[in-house]
This record gives sequence, C-alpha cells and structure tokens, in this order.
Amino acid sequence: MYYPEPISKLIDSFTKLPGIGPKTASRLAFHIINMEDDDVLGFANALVNATRELTHCSTCGNITDQDPCVICQDTSRDGSIICVVQDPKDVIAMEKMKEYRGRYHVLHGAISPMDGIGPEDINVPDLLERLKNEEVEELILATNPNIEGEATAMYISRLVKPSGIKTTRIAHGLPVGGDLEYADEVTLSKALEGRRDL
Amino acid sequence: MHIEQLMLKQFRNYDSLDVSFDNKVNVIIGENAQGKTNLMEAMYTLAFTKSHRTPREKELIQWDADFARIEGRITKRNQSIPLDLTISAKGKKARLNRLEQRRLSDYIGALNIVMFAPEDLGLVKGPPQNRRRFIDMELGQIQPKYIYHLGLYQKVLKQRNYLLKQLQRRQTEDRTMLYVLTEQLAEHAAALLSRRYKFLELLRKWAGPIHHSISHELETLEIVYIPTIEVSEAANEEKITSSYISQFQAIAEKEIERGTTLIGPHRDDLVFNVNNRDVQTYGSQGQQRTTALSLKLAEIELIHNEIGEYPILLLDDVLSELDDYRQSHLLNTIQGKVQTFVSTTTVDGINHDTLKQADIFHVQNGKIR
Repeated sequence: MYYPEPISKLIDSFTKLPGIGPKTASRLAFHIINMEDDDVLGFANALVNATRELTHCSTCGNITDQDPCVICQDTSRDGSIICVVQDPKDVIAMEKMKEYRGRYHVLHGAISPMDGIGPEDINVPDLLERLKNEEVEELILATNPNIEGEATAMYISRLVKPSGIKTTRIAHGLPVGGDLEYADEVTLSKALEGRRDL
Repeated sequence: MHIEQLMLKQFRNYDSLDVSFDNKVNVIIGENAQGKTNLMEAMYTLAFTKSHRTPREKELIQWDADFARIEGRITKRNQSIPLDLTISAKGKKARLNRLEQRRLSDYIGALNIVMFAPEDLGLVKGPPQNRRRFIDMELGQIQPKYIYHLGLYQKVLKQRNYLLKQLQRRQTEDRTMLYVLTEQLAEHAAALLSRRYKFLELLRKWAGPIHHSISHELETLEIVYIPTIEVSEAANEEKITSSYISQFQAIAEKEIERGTTLIGPHRDDLVFNVNNRDVQTYGSQGQQRTTALSLKLAEIELIHNEIGEYPILLLDDVLSELDDYRQSHLLNTIQGKVQTFVSTTTVDGINHDTLKQADIFHVQNGKIR
C-alpha cells in the first residue's frame, strides 16, 4: 500500500520498537498526525532528551541524569552491600520492593562467548575496581536465572572469592502466593534444591 | 493410547485432510510419491515437534502456503486429548488441550510414538549420531526432564565451543570463564549421562529376551554404552559431575588447541554385541536388522512399562524389508494392543491375521479414500 514518505518513515521508526509490528506502527503513526502540534513537539523532545540527557553513572553503571546517580549519592544507603544486576530495569524492580537499602552495580548484559560478549564488554572491570576502593562486605549476584546469567554470576563469584568478600546468589524457586501444583517441574526441583531449615 | 483423528492443513502434499482411525492396525496403501510417508511424518511431527526426515521445517509447509498445521485427537488413559502443532516461517506453536506450551518438555511425551522406517535399519550400522538420536528421542518422550537438560547442555556446549575457539585464536586469555562453563557443562552432562545409564538398563532388560526370541534362540544381544569418561554406570550424578570436571581439567590444553569440546554425551556411542561380537563390524545384514528390530520392539514394551500405555507404532515401508519370520514376530507383538500404522505399496504376500483384520486406507495424490 502507498503511504506518503513522512508517514512511511514514521511507521518505519515505530516498528523498531519492541512488541510493535507493522499494523500497530501504522495505527500509531496515523494517530500522531492527528495530534496537536504542541503535543507532538513535546513527545519528540521527550524522545530526544531521554537519550541525550541520560548517561551511565560512573560508579554503578545505572542510567541517570546526574553523575553519580541518586542511589550512589544517597549516604543513608548501606555501602557495604552491592547488588549486581544485568539491566537498569532490574534496579527498578529491586527498588519497588523498598526492602533493599544497599547499593547496585549494573552490568548491562551477561557474558556470552557465542555473541562475542566477554567480561570486559559488560561492567565487570568497573565492579572489581569498586570492590578494591570501597569497603564492601557482601556482593549479591542477582543476574537472571538462565544459562548466561548463571555463568556470569559464577564467573564474578570466582573472581571475588579470593578477596574474602562474601558473595551470595539470589534464590530460585516458587513464586510467592502461587500454588505448588501449578509450578513446572524444573522450578519445583530448583525450589527443592534450595530448601531450608525451619 | 491411540490416535482417534488426524487433521492436516497445507502439510507437504496434503492440502486438507480429516481422517479418523480405529484403535488397531491401519494399513496405508498407495503408489510411490502419493503421500504415505508424509502421513507418517505428520504423526511423528505431532509427537516430537520435529520431523524424522528433515531438520528444515520449511519443507513441511505446502508450496506457496504460509503455514502448515497438524491437529490430532488422541485417547490416553481413557481421556480424549486434542493436540496441535502449527509450523510457519515465524516458528512453531505447539498446543496441548488447546493451551500453548512454550517449553518443549511440557509438550513432548503427550503423544508417544515409536517409528520403524527403512532408515532405522541403519541404527546399528550408521554413524554414532543415529544412536545418540535414538537415545535422545526415546528417553525424551518418557522423561521430559531429559529434554530440559539436553536443551541446556547444547546451549552451554555452544557457548563453551565459542570460548574455546576464542582461546585457540588467542582473542582472550580468560581461563576463569572456561572453568565456569566447564562446571556448567559437567553438571548437565552428568544429568544426561546418569539418565542414559538408567534408560540403558531398561532397554537391556527388554531388548535381550526379544532378540533371543527373534533369532530362534540362537543369539544373545548385549548393549554397551561407550562414554567419553571413565565412570561406573552405578555412579550417582554428583560422582559423574566430578569425573567430568577432572577429565576436562586433564584435557584443557588439548581442547584449547583443537578449539572445541572433546568429551561429553554428545560424543558417546552405543555398541551392540551379538554373541560377543560387535554386530556393527562383524554382524551380517540379517543380524543388524534383527538388532534394530529388537530395539524398536523393546522400546514399545519399555514405554508401556514406564508410562502405563502402549505407544503408537509407525511402520513406514519397512514390512517388506523383513523376512517372513521377523514379520510375523513383529505382527504378533503388536496384535491387539498397539495401534499401528503400516505404509506399503501392496499387501500382497503378507499373510498374517493382523493385516487381514486391518483397516485399509488408500492414499492418492494427497487424498485418502
């Protein structure tokens, strides 16, 4: 079907977003051309600013508009615990919990030789540097529970172990509030492995 | 268990098909290239989400069509269960009870199938991957956890091989990562090996007597598993894991030099000894056939014993490959208890009660009469 070029460019741009196919993209594009000028301008600015004004925190690697980031600046947080996560979104998930008062370290990925991603391509060297300079007692490895996340956690723990810093791995198992009978057997066997004394 | 109904849409040369079957022997008759094997392949693919003939899924989709669909209704433990599999350029979607199953291990095993095709005669004679595939398929359908470990094993193996290549080319010097991947690989390797050992024990139990009887009580079959590490078959998973790790440490330099993983279940093999002689090297054609047939018949009994129901047997163009004695042995075994699909160009010359009572389906150019 024929679209004037400005629209087809807009549609093209939308299809680059995750979860958006050609149909949704054209619906969004046609919605935008009917929007008020101010709204469109605000939208465009928000897009540009989000990428231009955000940087990575030089300490923890999280996305931030000020360096160091709010969490790293917050002196009320416990600097002796660092939680290592793969993605800035994981920090948000952890923060929603409002239980954790330590600091973070964001790797931006996991080690995967297949994709050519080695330890130096994710934020691991910075983490080791931090451990040397800061007084850290515990490192919580909260990478994803898949092959790459697991390997990354094991890798970091092997590097850190000799320094005497305690390294821990988050538990895998049953979701809280769920029913045992609905758990798949792999999750269930992980939960069984990680059982504890009452 | 049995297949009550099979529906195909744009699968190979079947534009649209809806056919019902009885719980007994069904004979599919047709000239060459009319769609006999395609029908068998459809049932096999419905069970395993993979074809036995090709790794390229596109071939299953009819020329010019976007997708192929296989739907089946099976009876298992007196319950009627719908299964369907849709194959398109985007991938596969498998549904059980109309619910999509994202994990293969949640789907495979719902429909149990044992297939005996001319290629299977090469199970004994062919390359080791045929025998590994045989173990993986048969074990996978009675133990979903095996498929889970197999998937993870293959993934870690791929990562580890990439890393070994990088170490070989000196693109990295990082041995710590190699150690981490070795530990991961050893864990899944041990999970596979210990399950294979247990499966072998069952296979021996069933295949031995069957082979003895097909061979007019003249031959004894012995099945030997050849692992790439030295470890007792009675060892537990932990012991096997540590054996793998120490063996990997011993060959680390060699692996880096070669740039690939040299040991593990992906390099193991099976050896079949008949009367103490390796049948692959020293056996006659007949002995090799008898061995392949014994293994397939053993599978039927093994699955029945493990899951409490007989699997469905697909005999694709293979009956004519067997002599009268082996034919009747096969047909006696299935008589009245195993739903069987036999494809053949003609039933002339096969004189057995089982076939005389069978339902006959004529296949012509992607249609069934």
